[in-house]
This record gives sequence, structure tokens and C-alpha cells, in this order.
Amino acid sequence: MQARRRRTGSESEPLVVVDQYTRSPERYQFVQQQTNNVQNYIEEDFLEDYAEPEPIMTARDRTNEFVNTIQSLQGRNIARAIAVKDPKKSRAIQGHTEFMMVAKSIGRNITSTYTKLEKLTLLAKRKSLFDDRTSEIQELTYIIKGDLSSLNQQIAQLQDISKRQKHTTSGKHLHSHSSSVVLALQSKLATMSTDFKQILEVRTENLRYQKNRLDQFSQGAVNSSIPPSYSANRQGNSDLMHEQDQVSINLESSALIPRQQMQASLVYDQTDNYLQSRAETMQNIESTIVELGGIFQQLAHMVKEQEEMVERIDTNVQDAELNIEAAHTQILKYFQSVTSNRWLMIKIFGVLIFFFIFFVVFLA
Amino acid sequence: CPNRMVKLYCLNVLYKNNTSAVRLKSAYDLQSFSLFQRGSVQEFMGFVSKTIVERTPPASRQSVKEGEYMCHVYVRADNLAGIVISDHEYPSRVSHTLITKILDEFTQKIPPSSWTLITEKDVVFPQLNTYLAKYQNPREADAMTKIQEDLDETTIILHNTIQAVLQRGEKLDDLVSKSEDLTIQSKAFYKTARKTNSCCTFS
Repeated sequence: MQARRRRTGSESEPLVVVDQYTRSPERYQFVQQQTNNVQNYIEEDFLEDYAEPEPIMTARDRTNEFVNTIQSLQGRNIARAIAVKDPKKSRAIQGHTEFMMVAKSIGRNITSTYTKLEKLTLLAKRKSLFDDRTSEIQELTYIIKGDLSSLNQQIAQLQDISKRQKHTTSGKHLHSHSSSVVLALQSKLATMSTDFKQILEVRTENLRYQKNRLDQFSQGAVNSSIPPSYSANRQGNSDLMHEQDQVSINLESSALIPRQQMQASLVYDQTDNYLQSRAETMQNIESTIVELGGIFQQLAHMVKEQEEMVERIDTNVQDAELNIEAAHTQILKYFQSVTSNRWLMIKIFGVLIFFFIFFVVFLA
Repeated sequence: CPNRMVKLYCLNVLYKNNTSAVRLKSAYDLQSFSLFQRGSVQEFMGFVSKTIVERTPPASRQSVKEGEYMCHVYVRADNLAGIVISDHEYPSRVSHTLITKILDEFTQKIPPSSWTLITEKDVVFPQLNTYLAKYQNPREADAMTKIQEDLDETTIILHNTIQAVLQRGEKLDDLVSKSEDLTIQSKAFYKTARKTNSCCTFS
């Protein structure tokens, strides 16, 4: 008996703090009963029942173990604080250890969510047509989403704790340490959520690919000349599952099978599909119209912007015209002055008279 | 190319009794089959429509794949049923709209009281053939598809327009810079002309 108990105790060594903490209330009860010297039937240890089917169990004295557990649990928190012997510092250290424990639990949750995310990655990356574990993937996705949001809340709580501690007492280093811890946890959470988003995108890509391959193999081929908006809408995430159902149902109702099997599939009423496709088409039309309205507005805006440039061009060209006119008149004036130059006559006469005098004086 | 066009082969209106389905009117378009096959194909289609209507519960719609063809069937609550046999590419929404329309018109023209009594020879309903011909091209006949197509066309045109406007913007930019250059140069021209004019000595 004793040996078995010891073994279970040592197996859970790495998780000593948490497990002993959860089990200690029961042991406390047990110890209390036992210290009152009442012999009770203990249901907790069914291993012992199996080995030795005695109706009345002998109680064991585990008070010492209990006291040690309590001490080790509190010791982490208070022993250090008491050892410092300064009330303010002890409070600070107590608060800080509380902060560290919350941070530790958050870290553990983050690693567990990471393992789940890796599992989801493995599942989502499989490209086989036939072994599609949709329900698992959806469950995992849901769980991971819940985990991410709870982690978010926990980190927000942690931040609150650190802010509160900043207000009470704590050294500059303690505070910067806690804020860096919070930051590290937040960055880990952020990387995890981006990975999760990527995985979801990969998953939708794979679904689309699978749907294409199914269409190739099945006989119900989709019309490829559907206008782009119609087909783009059909490939939305929620419609993808719906269409997969439709394709598989068409495969079932193939008339190569004798009529009896057709009876089973004929019970399925497709009024919903019809109405849904009509509603979808109307929605498409409506969104296209809205889009068109937007495009028209953009067009008008662009034309208005360009109007300004046209005005500039207009002014420039007018200026150029004015300048050219003025220059033209200048040149005309010049031309007139050149053609009818009075000075020219005087110059010619001057030269003639000069030569005349020169000849007359020197040759006579 | 007629091979790529979607095809409607047959349009039937039946009445569903408790025991069986009675054919009230049919219209066929069997041009794609050779002359010898047409008779058997017609019979086959009639038989298939009867069977399917007998097995479909009232007030429900179905689209059943049948070898190379697709059967769209709608049985109304008053046991009047319509069947469209088409190829796989015909959009099912359009065929169901067609059936609903036909059944409504049929009800208007031929009163419901006489459905149990009349046979196929008595029924005068030529619209069936016109509808069959018209709906061979689902894009034009069905209002919603038509609107969708028009809108898509308009979107494409608008996209082209916006491209053209962008190009216009670039050209306007070009013009602006050129006209600025022109202004500057004409101003220089004017100044030079004025200078040559004011300076009176020739040099």
C-alpha cells in the first residue's frame, strides 16, 4: 500500500505545485477525519479496494505530509517576503510572485494552444480527396478560437495586475520586468493568431482545390462561362460547404443506378436550393449595382480633378498667344523701321560727301 | 457553335393523380437527335417525366440527373406538375423559374376543375412551344440572368472608361507641361523682339 502511494506521488513530480494543491483539500479532509480518530471508508483510492477488498479501510496519519505541502506552497510566496523583513518590500515581492504565477499559467496555455495549432496545421495540409476530416478540423478550429480569446483575456488581466502593482510599490526594475513579460506574452499570442489565420487560409484554398477536383471527376460539371461576379460570390467560404453537399448528392442520384435507389434520393426536396439560389442571384445583382454606383462616382471625381488641369492648359495657351502677338507687333515695327530708315539716307549722304571732299581735296 | 449552347429538350405539364401522373401537354425540341432516334427519345422522356412526377411529393422541387440529361421537376400543392428536361449546363434556377411560370399560365388558361377530366388532345396551350423555343437561350429569357449579364457588361465598360480617363489624365499632364514651355518661350521671343527693336544702332 505504502509503496504504491509513494510511486504515484513521485510520478507527478514536475506538476507538484498544481497537483498537490488540487489534491490537498481532499487530503486535508481525510487528515481531519483521521485526526478526529474516525475510521471511514475511503472511496478515493480504488486501487487499494481492488487489491484488498476490505470494507473498512485503516486510516493513515498524513498530517506531516499535509503540513509540508502547505509550507512548500506558501513558502514560495511568503518565505522570501518574510526573509526580507521589510513590510513594503515583502508586499512588493508577494505581488510580483503572484504576477509571475499568472504569467506562468498563461505561458503554459500558450504552449498547449500551440500544439493544438500544429495538429490543425497537419490536418489542414492534407490534400487527399477521400479522407477529409471536416468535423475534426472544425472542432479544433472552434477550440483554438476559444483558447485564443481566453488567452487574450488572461493577458489583459495580467496587464491590469502589473498596472496595479505599479501604483502600489515596486521598484523600477520590477515594473519594467513585468511590462516586458507582458509584452513577450502578447507578441507570442500575436504570432499564434497570425499562424492561425494562415492556416485557415490554407484550409479554404485546399477546400477550393478539392472542390475543383471533385467536379472534374464527377459528372456534374459547373458551367465555366458564368460571369465573374457570380462565380466569385459562389466561392465564398460558407457556400463552399454547401456546394460540396450538392456535388455529393448529385453523385448519389446518378441514373446509372436502378430506379429503386433513385427513390431514396427523390425524397430530398430542393425547393430550398432553388430559393436560395434566387436570393443569391438577387444579392449579386444588388451588390453589382452598388458597385456600379461607386464606379460612376469615382469616374465623376476623376473627371472633376482633370478639369483643373484643362483650365491650366487653357490659361497657358492664352498667355502664349498674347506673348506671340506682342512679339509679332514688335517685329513688324522693326521691319518698318528697317525698311524706311531715315538715318540711312543721312549716312549715305555723309559717305558720299566724304568721298567727294576726299577726291576733290587730294586730286586737285 | 450549337454544341456549346445549353439545350432544353422537353417541356411537360402533368397532373398527378393519387395513382399515376397524367400528361396534359408536352413540347419537344429534338433537333439534335437523328430522325430515327427521335421517336424513342420522345417516348423515353415521356416515361421518365411520368415516373419522376409519380415519385415526387407535392409542393416540392427536384433536379435529378438522368444520364446525359438533367430533369427539373416541380410539383405544386394542387398536384399540377411541370418538368423540364435539359442538359447539364442549363442553370437549374432558370428552369425552375420557367416551370413556375408555365404552371401559372396553364392554370390561368385551363381551369383547375378540368384537370382530372381532359386528355392531352383537348388541351390547347401553344405557349409551351414558344416558351421552349425562347428559353433555349437562358441568358436572354430569364430576367435575372439578363440583368446580371447587362450589369456585368456595364461594369466592364465602366472599367474601360476609367482606364481611358486615366490615359486622358496623362495626356492632359503632357499638354500642361507643353503649354507651359510654349508660354515661356513665347515670352522670351517677345523680349528678344523688343530688344532688337529698341536698340537703334545697327550691331
